[in-house]
Amino acid sequence: MTRRVELDEESVERDLVRLVLTVVELLHQLMERQALRRVEQGDLSEDQEERIGTTLMLLERRMDELCARYDVGRNELNLDLGPLGSLLPREEDR
Amino acid sequence: MSTRQNGRLTYAYAVLHRGARPPAGLLGIGDAPVRTVAEGPLAALVSDVPAAEFDQPGVRDRLEDLTWLEATARAHRQVVDETAAEVGVLPLRLVTVYRDEDAVRAALAEHAERFERLLNRLDGRLEWGVRAYAQQAPDDRKPDDHRPGGGEDREPAEAESGREFLRRRLRDRKAEGAALHEADGLAREVHDALTRAAEHSRLHRPQDGRLAEAVAASGAPDAAGRAPASTRPAVTRGPNLLNGAYLVRREAAGTFAERVGELAARSPALRIELTGPWAPYSFTDLPDDEAGRSTS
Repeated sequence: MTRRVELDEESVERDLVRLVLTVVELLHQLMERQALRRVEQGDLSEDQEERIGTTLMLLERRMDELCARYDVGRNELNLDLGPLGSLLPREEDR
Repeated sequence: MSTRQNGRLTYAYAVLHRGARPPAGLLGIGDAPVRTVAEGPLAALVSDVPAAEFDQPGVRDRLEDLTWLEATARAHRQVVDETAAEVGVLPLRLVTVYRDEDAVRAALAEHAERFERLLNRLDGRLEWGVRAYAQQAPDDRKPDDHRPGGGEDREPAEAESGREFLRRRLRDRKAEGAALHEADGLAREVHDALTRAAEHSRLHRPQDGRLAEAVAASGAPDAAGRAPASTRPAVTRGPNLLNGAYLVRREAAGTFAERVGELAARSPALRIELTGPWAPYSFTDLPDDEAGRSTS
């Protein structure tokens, strides 16, 4: 049986963008989780909370914009790690 | 070495009582006609399959070929389910293959006692599957995948401060966690109630949501080999919290289905799906001590 690998330039570019955005989304979620934990523990000053909150909010907005620009859904930002599950929590696991 | 008859092997689907009459005209794997092979008080439903496909060690590689596996599983389930709809069956494992009919008879004789006990135990009962999913809570965090207008330079309706944003996120996260916890508790209650309404129950591993969707979309049978519901609603489901199998007497099927309906109506936090009736796939290994017990 012969198998051909078909490379479609456009889909390669889109996949690359998706991969990059996935990594950014991972960092975003890690940062947000850490921030929320610290807010809960109350070890951030009001000023720090405001700055971190604003940063996360901007990042969130920026992600939406990038996703819209490259026509990638937020729920497509993930990697299947086989038996380890997925890199990011899936929508239905949240 | 095995003596193959014209490169054919004998594939066995299920065991039944010798006198039981399976539906006429059953077609099995590769559309081969299904027949019975009897030995003592028992009979097996069999059909011929090509040795080239089903002989060791080739079949091992085949099992990793999903297309082949799907077609085989589908044919297997169809024979077993169609028969189970009419007479009591003891389903055999997928790809139970014998050299020839004599080998089938030998197996029936060897395991006669266990087969008979299980058949008597399962006679007149069918399996129903119940899955419960958490209802997806509306999530204002994730905007639609494709927001009209592309979101460029678009300010949110109300300007939110960084602190407000963090607080809102914290609240959302806690609410999600609490909702899931509650749904999980409800799913347990559903299982307990259905276990009381059934003779036996088995819990299967909850299904990966994406896998289930993909399987449903492809029209393939699910992990247990069951055909997908033809009218699968296009809603996003939450995680699968309950994946249970329940052994129910034929005549009690209506009552059981009603019970499921009641539970579904009472648990708006869950989406409950009932499938069946199936041959008692999940109950082919009831231990000896349960043979005489009517309720668990």
